[in-house]
Amino acid sequence: MNFNELLQDVVQKDTLASLRAVQPELTLCATIIAILLAKILIPAWKQSPFHLTVIGLATAMFVGFPWHGSAAAAVSTLAQPIFTASLVSDSFTTVVRFFLLTFAMLFAAFAEISTDGEDDRTEFYVLILGALVGMCLMISANHVLIVLLGVEMASVPCYVLAGLKRRQSKSSEAALKYAVFGAGAAGVMMFGLSLLAGGLGTAHLPAMAANLAKMIQGGISPQQITILSLGGLMVMVGVGFKLSAVPFHFWAPDVFEGATAEVAAFLSVASKAAALGLLMRLCSAFAFPADMYFHSPIGELLPQASLIAALAPVRQYIVAIVAVLAAVTCTFGNLAAYGQTNMKRLLAYSTIAHAGYMMMPVAAAVALIRVGSDGVSVDGARDAVASLVTYISIYLFMNLAAFAIVAFLRNATGSEEIADYAGLVRRSPGLTVCMAIVMFSLVGLPPLAGFQAKWVMFYSLIEAAHVCPALWALLSVGLLNTILSLFYYLRVVRVMALSPEPLYREAPTIPLTSMVGMYCGLLTAPMLLLFFALDRVLPWAHAAASTLF
Amino acid sequence: MLDIKTLLILIPALPLVAAVLTAALGAPILRTRSHLPVVAAIALSSVASLLLLARMQEQAGQGRGGQETVSLWRWADVAGDGQNAARQEALSPGHSLSRDFRVDVALEADSLTAAMLAIVTCISTLVAIYSIGYMRGDLGYWRFFSYIGLFVFSMTMLVSATNLVLLYVFWEAVGLCSYLLIGFWYERPAAADAGKKAFLVNRIGDVGLALGIFLIWTTYGTVDFREVFAAAGNSAGDWRTTVICLLLLAGACGKSAQVPLHVWLPDAMEGPTPVSALIHAATMVTAGVYLIARCMPLFATSVTAQCAVATVGGVTALLGGIIAVTQTDLKRILAYSTISHLGYMFLALGTGTLLGVTAGMFHLLTHAFFKALLFLAAGSVMHAMGGVIDIRRLGGLRRRMPVTHWTFLVGCLAIAGVWPLSGFWSKDAIVLAVQQRYGSGAASTLFEALFVTATFGVLLIDFYMFRPYFLVFWGKERIPAVAGGHAQESPRVMTAPLIALALGAAGVGAYFAWTGSFARFLAGSPSLAGLGPAMGELPRSGHESIALLSTAITLVGIVLAAFIYLGGPQRAARLARAMNVIGLYSLSYGKFFFDPLYHALVVWPLLGAARLAAWFDRRVIDGLVDLFGWLPALVGAALRPVQGGLVQFYALAMMLGLLAMLGLLLM
Repeated sequence: MNFNELLQDVVQKDTLASLRAVQPELTLCATIIAILLAKILIPAWKQSPFHLTVIGLATAMFVGFPWHGSAAAAVSTLAQPIFTASLVSDSFTTVVRFFLLTFAMLFAAFAEISTDGEDDRTEFYVLILGALVGMCLMISANHVLIVLLGVEMASVPCYVLAGLKRRQSKSSEAALKYAVFGAGAAGVMMFGLSLLAGGLGTAHLPAMAANLAKMIQGGISPQQITILSLGGLMVMVGVGFKLSAVPFHFWAPDVFEGATAEVAAFLSVASKAAALGLLMRLCSAFAFPADMYFHSPIGELLPQASLIAALAPVRQYIVAIVAVLAAVTCTFGNLAAYGQTNMKRLLAYSTIAHAGYMMMPVAAAVALIRVGSDGVSVDGARDAVASLVTYISIYLFMNLAAFAIVAFLRNATGSEEIADYAGLVRRSPGLTVCMAIVMFSLVGLPPLAGFQAKWVMFYSLIEAAHVCPALWALLSVGLLNTILSLFYYLRVVRVMALSPEPLYREAPTIPLTSMVGMYCGLLTAPMLLLFFALDRVLPWAHAAASTLF
Repeated sequence: MLDIKTLLILIPALPLVAAVLTAALGAPILRTRSHLPVVAAIALSSVASLLLLARMQEQAGQGRGGQETVSLWRWADVAGDGQNAARQEALSPGHSLSRDFRVDVALEADSLTAAMLAIVTCISTLVAIYSIGYMRGDLGYWRFFSYIGLFVFSMTMLVSATNLVLLYVFWEAVGLCSYLLIGFWYERPAAADAGKKAFLVNRIGDVGLALGIFLIWTTYGTVDFREVFAAAGNSAGDWRTTVICLLLLAGACGKSAQVPLHVWLPDAMEGPTPVSALIHAATMVTAGVYLIARCMPLFATSVTAQCAVATVGGVTALLGGIIAVTQTDLKRILAYSTISHLGYMFLALGTGTLLGVTAGMFHLLTHAFFKALLFLAAGSVMHAMGGVIDIRRLGGLRRRMPVTHWTFLVGCLAIAGVWPLSGFWSKDAIVLAVQQRYGSGAASTLFEALFVTATFGVLLIDFYMFRPYFLVFWGKERIPAVAGGHAQESPRVMTAPLIALALGAAGVGAYFAWTGSFARFLAGSPSLAGLGPAMGELPRSGHESIALLSTAITLVGIVLAAFIYLGGPQRAARLARAMNVIGLYSLSYGKFFFDPLYHALVVWPLLGAARLAAWFDRRVIDGLVDLFGWLPALVGAALRPVQGGLVQFYALAMMLGLLAMLGLLLM
């Protein structure tokens, strides 16, 4: 095959097929361009680009999800490496991207309701859509460059979003801190990725894993181990920054407090889901490089089973890092949430804690890849990934609802202090009930979806602990944290429901029948529905998991 | 057009629909017309029951099997394991049972069910009509009729269920209705307490029933009546059958207010009088009798269980009678009388012979009529007297309330067993069955003692029923002040059911006893198959002597009551003093001190334990929880200064974190 043929092949076969697979991303890009063009070409158009955004998102959802056919069928038809295997389009991409788009849709509606009649709308939506494209890249990354590109593309719009309230010094400060910290983290990650790519002789993630396996089989020197471990850790810094994992979380409380509640909702859900997708991708690539993620069949390098067997120390390394980070993040987030008086700060620590919870199934999944004499068993790993995807799908509603209520209350009272919520149940019983449901769900109490999320997650953790006994410790940390979290979540409910109303303040009346109330109801309903109808989500979660391992 | 299956569904469905309708529309729309749907539905239900009875008799006449089953849906279907099947095989070889746990919502009509359905719906209809007058003007008018509809639905379902689980569901459902109706006037503390007491005491029995069902399932691998009986027939004399029977008896004791679980029934009189008549005399309390009759194939295999049933029945009959003699509240007298009569039914069932079981069921039928009649008549008195029911404050009412007086008298004569009123026939049948039993069969000494008890009980019945009769309706006219000056006969809508019930109480016994059709019809039930020869072929010898004996006792009792209570208060007081020489009066008046005894032995220890647990919970558990909530807050407060706001420090922390992790890995 000469160069010309190769070029022909790439342009004609690969690119065309790849373009079909990234239709949702292309739609998002087209929407951004349409919004910007409309803003420039029609000067009289003062309206918010909300409708354009919704149309764009709906189109992206429509083209990016296999609406016909079952979850199981989707698995086999979707999986393909695209753009010369620098990205990968499979059911994990499809499902997580669908969640992101769903979230974006709900989020757009939330932003439209809560920030009615403000300027900067065009910028706001363009930035959101831009960040979404970056997040889609993150969850389908199969190449070091795409990892970097995705993280940066998702981060840079977020820096701007955090500083969107230009006139507020707190907002600007938060944006600056975010940007500085983000730049630092990105630098560290880039350094780590280059260490890895240099050490392994390629920048294509599965190929890096294959090379690593070969190195391990052929004997690996201690210097190489140190360099590669350091590289891996530095990559974790970047991912941990996006995840707001401790100790890379410091930006989160400041940014959440400084930015508007809307932006905080976006950061806490979309950004985090994408970061988890990326973490899952990286772990999957290095722990279990499946055939389909290579541009050419893997058989040229090594037989699959021996490759995966050789990667056992890498898996141990991943499990150790992720588990330690998860335990520390979860515990720190929950402890620091105590004593917060600002609701957004409290939620910031709550999202940090939830990032910890959501990292646990990642560790479990990697631990559950078992190589025995009779082949490789990945059923448990798939269950763990499915539990992560389920958690994300439920977390999406929970956190958006929490921030939405905070934003609506801010609009009505001008305050985000918990103390100012006192006695709200008397004025806005519906909204208080919604808040209570969300808080209980965040704790993970039945009969709410948050319980199901924790249940599937802890279940996979128990499975993993049978394989890797050290994970019992992680499990107990997780359970203990669930108890810990009860107190500060319920404190909010207690203030809203039991504390007497202050005399000097007219508490807002937000009936459930208003636009705002109905929106809160819409977000809270899944807390109850998903508890009973989880079997609607689970097949898709399993489908998403089945291509990763 | 209306075949048995349709009827079987219609009978419970109609009251249910009416109950739901009344519950939904009662308060806003129907208001004072709330009785319409329920009364109409129950009346239609009773017509359907009678039609069903006729169809069943027709079928029995043609010699076809007397059983019709209609399955509505499968409620539970759990695949079993092989282990259970192996155990069953060992227990009853060659008898293949489904080893899966299956519960169908299915109704079945055999003659036992048909008879119970007819009794329940007919009495319910009359009581419901009576309630239109009795409950008029009550704030909870619609609520009352909604509950009544629900009760009739539950009770009809209970007696037509094909399996024990379904029976248990409706066993609890009638208990719930009973609770709701006892506490109907929940703003009165006594009513609320009585409801609670009934519920709790019943719960003790229900635990027995539930355990019994569990044991049936583990022993026979099925809960379907027919399959259980088939399996029980193959494992006669197994000790497990005896345990099952004793557990079922515990359940029946709770529901049918047998000693020692009888204490709730007298208190249940706090409910409206129609409820006392319907639920706590005629129908629901007979559920225990029905349960034992239904499970007769199990009891037939165990002499121990039979003796237990008979002993419980005999003791209850005697105790209830003795207590009833000295009570002063007319409704409570009737309540203890009910307890005593239920005891008679248990005694009859305990004989374990076909004669005994049919006699028990026959007594259930006649008792339903005359006890409902007596309660409703007492209610009529209460209605006219402004709620006063203490017989010491009433007197000479026969002129003001002629219909109530005459119907009450018919009820008294019927319950006392004066020839040819219904009580005579059914009570005789029971005494005869007990006598036959000690003549032939195991445990004859016990049954001889029970025979004496039963005969003595007859004397008590006459005495305790004619005592209130004479006091309330004869003597000097005494009307309490609360009744006002306008004490008069109750309205037509209340007296009409009284008359109908009086006719039933007078005639129903003679009709069935002479034709013998009730026993013959009942003997067709698969539950009673295999208990021995049919009624017609039984030896009739001894019947006349029993009849003579009991008639003589009856007359003595009535004359004694007349002598004591028509002659002025001194005679009664003298009798009480004489009886108290051996403490009998105090025992009877104090209801044998069951309530204080239970308070001392059960309630106080439990309350003490509860207080201890509450203290432990408040001080120790809550303290621990507070500690849990407090510690993290402390740690959190220590951690918070780390978030200082300086981005330089954040970057430093990031690097330190990286180094810490590297250190961790290198270790």
